[in-house]
Amino acid sequence: MNGETENWGALSELPGNPLMWVLILSEMLVFGAFFIGFAVVRLLHPEMVLAGQGALSIPLGGLNTLILVTSGWLAARAVHARAEGGIGRSRLFLAGAGALGLGFLTVKGVEYADKAAQGLGIETDTFWTLFYLMTGFHALHVVMGIVVLSIVGWKNSVENLETGAAFWHMVDLIWLILFPLVYLLR
Amino acid sequence: MSEETSRAHGRRLNRAWAVLAGLTVLSVGAALLGPDGQRASLGSVAVALVASFVKGRQVLDHFLDLRRAGSGWRGLFNALLLVILGSCFALYLASMLRSGGWSAMGP
Repeated sequence: MNGETENWGALSELPGNPLMWVLILSEMLVFGAFFIGFAVVRLLHPEMVLAGQGALSIPLGGLNTLILVTSGWLAARAVHARAEGGIGRSRLFLAGAGALGLGFLTVKGVEYADKAAQGLGIETDTFWTLFYLMTGFHALHVVMGIVVLSIVGWKNSVENLETGAAFWHMVDLIWLILFPLVYLLR
Repeated sequence: MSEETSRAHGRRLNRAWAVLAGLTVLSVGAALLGPDGQRASLGSVAVALVASFVKGRQVLDHFLDLRRAGSGWRGLFNALLLVILGSCFALYLASMLRSGGWSAMGP
């Protein structure tokens, strides 16, 4: 990010900082292992997983998906605006993306509170342990993403914005796999 | 952005968002059509997984702008998406067959 041309080999083809792409690949592998683990638990205990999924709200999960994809779109528009020289516009788009990230966390909080009120906690059974681990770990990434968006909104070179937005899109991408696997495949 | 105009790039981002939102509504709608507390139909499961793959591609190609990278990178990320979703679908099918989840699946 210092303006010098560095040789990252094949990674140089990728937009933004190459190290962010290493992180994106790593995160996809970690979450991929989580998802396959969840599918194995479904294979071993199909009735337990079906009962757990019956307590999940598809509309709330769908709402959060719409919130995240819209937030990702705003982050992409922020990079686009900055590349055109529109610093103020790019900051506005980023603020919108971050605000929607907070909206995602609010909906997630409502969902967790509802489950807690029903007595469904992380130790209820394996389904709920995995549910809280996967969605909680993802929610922590959303929190981190909001922090990253704030930083690149402040230090907003094109490369910084591309790198910060890439992290945000990775968080979006993981949710796009998590949502159908946990909420919809019953 | 050298090969496309700024306006075309903006339109491409808007189209990607429309595809993402439309597929989300479609997969949620297909899931909600099923009866409460029972197994999803094979059709709604297929819609959810295909929509997930297409949405993943939209985010990678347009939001992350992987189109700018070489075909090797696009192939790697597509393969990773396919392996994760394909493995989960295969395990889902196995669990349905093992538990007799779809009574209508037989010949």
